Amino acid sequence: MQLEIRNVSKTYPNGVRALHDVSLTIPRGMYGLLGPNGAGKSTLMRTLATLQEPDTGSIRLGDIDVLREKGRVRETLGYLPQEFGVYPRETAERLLDHFATLEGITDKGQRRETVEALLQQTNLWSVRKEKLGTFSGGMRQRFGVAIALLGHPTLVIVDEPTAGLDPAERVRFLNLLSALGENSIIILSTHIVEDVSELCTRMAIINGGQILLEAEPLRAIDEVRGRVWRKLVPKEEVAAVELELPVISTKMLAGRVYVNVYGPSQPAPGFEEVDPDLKDVYFSVMGGHHQRPSTRTEPLARAAL
Amino acid sequence: MKFGAIFRYELGYQLRSPAMWFYIVVLFLGPMAMVQFSDPTNNRVMNTPRTYSEVTSIVGFLALYVSAGLFGDAATRDSATGSQSLFNTAPITKWDYLGGRFAAVFLLNAGLLLGLPLGVALATQFPWLDGYNFAPFQLGQYVQPFVMMTLPNLFISSAVLFTVASLTRQALATYLSGLGLIILYLIVVNQGFGSDTVENLVDPFGIGSLQKVSKLWTPVEQESRLLGYPPTLLLNRAVWITIASGVLVWLYRRFSFTSTGIGGKRRAARDRRAPAEGAGETANAPRVRHAIASVPRASRLFGARTRAQQTFAVARHALADVLRNRVFILVALATVLLVFVFGWDVGSIVFDTSTWPVTHLVAGEVMGLPMTIMFTVLTSLVAGELVWKERDVRVGDIAAVTPVPDWVPLAGRFIALVVVLVGMQALLMASGIALQAAKGYYRFEPGLYLRILFGMNLVEYLIFGALAMAVHVVVNQKNLAHVFVVGTYLLTLVAGSYFGLRHNLLVFNGDPGWVYSDLSGFGPFLGPFLWFKLYWAAWALMLVVVATVFWNRSSEGGIGARVRLARQRMSGPALRMVAVAALLVVASGGFIFYNTNVLNAYVTPAQLDDAAAAYERTYKRYQSAPHPTIVANELRVELYPERRAVDLRGTYRLVNLTGRPIDTLLVEVKRDVRMESLELGRAATVVREEPAFQRRLYALAGTLQPGDSMTMTYHFVHEPRGFTNSGIPTDVVSNGTYFEGDWLPIIGYRSSLEISNEKTRAGYGFRPRPGLPSVRDSALYEAMRNDLPGSQPVMMDVTMGTAGDQIAVTSGKLVREWRENGRRYFHYRTDVPIMNGAPYLSARYAVKEDRWKDVPLRLYHHPTHTFNADRIMHSMKASLEYYSTAFGPYPFSELRVVEFPRYANFARANPHTITFSEGSAFITRIDSGDVDRTFFVVAHETAHQWWGNQLRGARVKGVGLVSETLAQYSSMMVMEKTFGREMVRDFYDFQMQQYLSGRASASSIEAPMTEVESQPHLYYFKGGVVMYTLREAIGEANMTLALRRFLQKFGDPQPPYATASDLVQELRAVTPDSIQYTITDLFETITLWELETDSVSAVKAANGDWQVTLDVTAKKTRADSVGRLTETPMRDLIDVGVYAEPVPGAGPRKPLYFAKHWVESGKQRITVTVPASAGTPARAGLDPDRTVIQREWGTPLAPVTVKTGAARP
Repeated sequence: MQLEIRNVSKTYPNGVRALHDVSLTIPRGMYGLLGPNGAGKSTLMRTLATLQEPDTGSIRLGDIDVLREKGRVRETLGYLPQEFGVYPRETAERLLDHFATLEGITDKGQRRETVEALLQQTNLWSVRKEKLGTFSGGMRQRFGVAIALLGHPTLVIVDEPTAGLDPAERVRFLNLLSALGENSIIILSTHIVEDVSELCTRMAIINGGQILLEAEPLRAIDEVRGRVWRKLVPKEEVAAVELELPVISTKMLAGRVYVNVYGPSQPAPGFEEVDPDLKDVYFSVMGGHHQRPSTRTEPLARAAL
Repeated sequence: MKFGAIFRYELGYQLRSPAMWFYIVVLFLGPMAMVQFSDPTNNRVMNTPRTYSEVTSIVGFLALYVSAGLFGDAATRDSATGSQSLFNTAPITKWDYLGGRFAAVFLLNAGLLLGLPLGVALATQFPWLDGYNFAPFQLGQYVQPFVMMTLPNLFISSAVLFTVASLTRQALATYLSGLGLIILYLIVVNQGFGSDTVENLVDPFGIGSLQKVSKLWTPVEQESRLLGYPPTLLLNRAVWITIASGVLVWLYRRFSFTSTGIGGKRRAARDRRAPAEGAGETANAPRVRHAIASVPRASRLFGARTRAQQTFAVARHALADVLRNRVFILVALATVLLVFVFGWDVGSIVFDTSTWPVTHLVAGEVMGLPMTIMFTVLTSLVAGELVWKERDVRVGDIAAVTPVPDWVPLAGRFIALVVVLVGMQALLMASGIALQAAKGYYRFEPGLYLRILFGMNLVEYLIFGALAMAVHVVVNQKNLAHVFVVGTYLLTLVAGSYFGLRHNLLVFNGDPGWVYSDLSGFGPFLGPFLWFKLYWAAWALMLVVVATVFWNRSSEGGIGARVRLARQRMSGPALRMVAVAALLVVASGGFIFYNTNVLNAYVTPAQLDDAAAAYERTYKRYQSAPHPTIVANELRVELYPERRAVDLRGTYRLVNLTGRPIDTLLVEVKRDVRMESLELGRAATVVREEPAFQRRLYALAGTLQPGDSMTMTYHFVHEPRGFTNSGIPTDVVSNGTYFEGDWLPIIGYRSSLEISNEKTRAGYGFRPRPGLPSVRDSALYEAMRNDLPGSQPVMMDVTMGTAGDQIAVTSGKLVREWRENGRRYFHYRTDVPIMNGAPYLSARYAVKEDRWKDVPLRLYHHPTHTFNADRIMHSMKASLEYYSTAFGPYPFSELRVVEFPRYANFARANPHTITFSEGSAFITRIDSGDVDRTFFVVAHETAHQWWGNQLRGARVKGVGLVSETLAQYSSMMVMEKTFGREMVRDFYDFQMQQYLSGRASASSIEAPMTEVESQPHLYYFKGGVVMYTLREAIGEANMTLALRRFLQKFGDPQPPYATASDLVQELRAVTPDSIQYTITDLFETITLWELETDSVSAVKAANGDWQVTLDVTAKKTRADSVGRLTETPMRDLIDVGVYAEPVPGAGPRKPLYFAKHWVESGKQRITVTVPASAGTPARAGLDPDRTVIQREWGTPLAPVTVKTGAARP
């Protein structure tokens, strides 16, 4: 079973083009959707989560037409929105139980077992009787995961889950996600490259509503190997380098600046080859230097249809 | 600087919000519309301070809502949008933050409220409203109320709202505190504190104080006199502005940027012991990390049962959330308090009575209309909370993706609302029973509570609740939706009177209304009520479907997107539901329409006016034509209570008592009955017939000569078919039938059928109606002495048949009683001619019998209404005793008091038979020390057996004086004989107050007693006052003598009939020359005195006696019909009283000195001597017993200053 997104476009009434002809095929496993703020990630995620309608395009999850059969999608969906709150005076256990009922777990005993297991799973068992209003950001986020995991979803959408978490919380959270198993499609949207590199077997980079790259992280890294170069230059020279060379990222180091440059060969003397990581892939793509058509439909091909 | 920035930002923010524009529309156009659509035919002057305040109070209620929205938004926005922390950390002070916002919103709100004066002032200038009665424009008329009332009240309410909003950061709490303010106001204005000063000070909105200021203003004063800045009102305003400022200071002290709501301290404490991060790993729970497989695979079901279970889960969850709100609990408690406040003096109907808190009054009246306003607001608040809470706490998206159909979350929330409403009903019921028990009434009738609260009322609230939910879902803006919901309710209240929308099929949640009676239960109201509610429930179902398809699953806004989505969802089941609802609407609506407009004629007031106008145009000329007089009526009445039907067959004997031959005969039969046949006993042709009005004009074959007689035989049937839109007939009901003789044929032209409203008449081109002839138009006045059109005395012979378990009663002596075919029959016959217009009653009565001399006394009452049976009997006996001794023998053979259901609320005296509504004498509660009103009203009606049923007043001005006033005086005398002077004095004071406040009512024109026409405050209350005052001046013996002579002259049922001048003539004859002026002042003019005791001093004389000197100012004025005063020279005998220091609880004070002195206009000094033995003077003044009519009700006594030093010789 896989999720197929075909030619999805969405323009908001205020003229913002949030998605432009997005096509993706997402198999089982963790899938990272990487992009800067405002790239269209949330719009895509909300659309997949049946909360929004695209203007055009189609989305299928196995044999389910996501845009038409929302009810069926929701039965197999787990969703953790980018921003969410809780009933501050409700306890974790009771609210989870409530959502379990809404997820169709109507048998009281089974519901109790499920709730208990999930609270254990998310390490909230000891605070299950506490009011949610007293939870910290990380606890709330884990509680969100517990809700998202109710009913063994086959499609899990987590939208910027690590945004507000401290490093320890983030690690704990990502461990939890990765433990979700291989049976589900898990889409993780983020603007933090490490989230993807640590967890995802496949990924896409999105910006300006368009998919710029779709790849497996390791392969993508391989593909830019030998194409990213760096040099430590004084601060004053950065502007000059940027004028001459395709700089994809800069990084301050003790008053001087590392400039990373994209190029098939050593762009200039003094540059050394970088052992690339996903960040370099990301910056290359964002800089418009590295691109692979992947599943994107070329405008010409579409015109031929 | 920062204050300014925050102020400007807030101002800009609010002005940009769409809600603001809606508020502007409501607050400017609302008042304008109320003036525009007010009925020009009622004679109210729309822009007088008094009416203006009425407009203000309706719109002001809505305005409080706007304020709650504005202030709530200003104070809670930051925490709602999560930007609170930005302000927490910004370098601004509390003063900048709170002050800037408060100032900005206050300014905006004040600007919005300018809509009231501007709207009304503008509307009065509309050129197309020239038929309206507007007071001339005065700037002060608008400025003063705005400065004195609107602005301070805004400050007071906004201080409370802003404080609650800032501390709780909850919109709901803010709205509820607004509701709390209204409840507080209702409690204060309904709770007499006995002291004007206290009442003035505790009224937060000053409305009661304002009413007190203008209470005694006469119409002409109301029109021109400005509110001004009266000191009592200023004091009230100052006090409450201080309190409100205190509230704001408290807020300033209490407010902290970091607190998250009320109970901040407690919450902070909780936070400290709240689970630390990672607590889960270290706590006792087992550490589980890779155990995703250990989450059991629970089976998930999505069938109908699951849906039901989910719906209830949503309901439970939403309900728990509402109930967790402490403010909601406070409102519930306030409701209980409200029940006690409204219910403590339930049913004040006659003469300020208190009434036994019978269940239908508590459940029907106390928990009826006054509570619906509360419930409307509460329903809207709870509905808004239910719809919005999920999104407010930002759980919306998570809930949106749960696999439940769109209707589940909505249905669950609606159930939660239902449970809240049901719970409130239960609370009402409990507090109602507690109230009854507290008042010592133990017949609780829980079944009746259930039927009223959980039946009639709950149905209304549920339908309204569906509207509130739908509005909140569709409008999708909380504050707007609140105003919309409450506005809809207010519109339904005024739809008929202001917009002419009267058909209950067109006014949301409309129904014909209902009245519960102990005799007949819900009687004829239940069926129609349920039909209309079924119809509106069908609409409610439709609304719920609309709400479902518009349900906001995600927060994606955009009207276009929502409509698209709604269209998508409007399929399958939703469509089927709409079809079902539509079918129900059409079917029930069709059935209702068939009943109201096909089976019954649906007539608008305009159509009634048209018909009345046509009648006047066509038949007015027959008014002066001679008509025969009914002298005898033989009638058979067959009542079928279970069918609500009656069959009337009778024969009139008509005699030409005029001096002229009669050739035409105009006969009319009321449309309440169906004319089966109408035959004349002599040859005649119908020259004009209007079947729609059951009206016939006959030309007699050969004239009916003076003295000749003829017969008329008639057969009418009354049987309601289906039901009507309003005014459901209650004349014949299953138990408690009451109808009057006007269902019998009406002979001749009736001016009472003409249009009476002068404005409407002018619209049809009719001249104003002349009113009754005055003594000044002497020719007409004299003519009327000999003529009583339409109500000559008749010999009645009536046989009444009714159901086997009922007793039928009418006027006349009961000559025979028998059973036939399971029915009971009663034969009544009068031994002397009586007024044609007897009542016809039938019910399952309990009968109490007694006897006064050889006159049998009977009381027919509902079996449970036994509270006052003994008092009624006692009163009949005492009255018969006094009247027959004082005025002349009782002329009839029996006397009975009969109860009828509370569909009407009056008492009426017919010969032999006095009828009382169940609401008046039967459940009146008399505690020791109270004026015994039941005794009084029975004595009053019994007195009409002399004044009215023997002595008949001519139809001229002053007719009220010779019937009602004399009955009032007579019953005061019986009361004095039976209970003593003190009780009558209390009653006298009550009447004086009623008269003085009655003067202020704009609808009545004041007249001297001899010219009184249709002003109850004159012929009852001023009448009682002047007669008793005269009695005090000339003594009881002289009064009795005059009245006895009056009765002797006019007690015969034949002409001439008595007039007020005849009575005054008798009274003058027994009044000494020296005080003849009293008659002029009390009866022939409208005279008002102003007596001021400026200062009193006392000096001890050598022999120990006190010489008390009173400096007084006196003035006597005469008023014209609208209250304009002119001074007239005064030289009157006025009581002067000197009193010792009152001892608390010592009973009635005894004067040290009490005598009449001649008092003249202007300032003067009166010196009296109080013997040393009497005591030390402490207070003294003019007219301590208030025998003189003073315009304002002040305290007559002034404190005495004791001066040392010898008295002057």
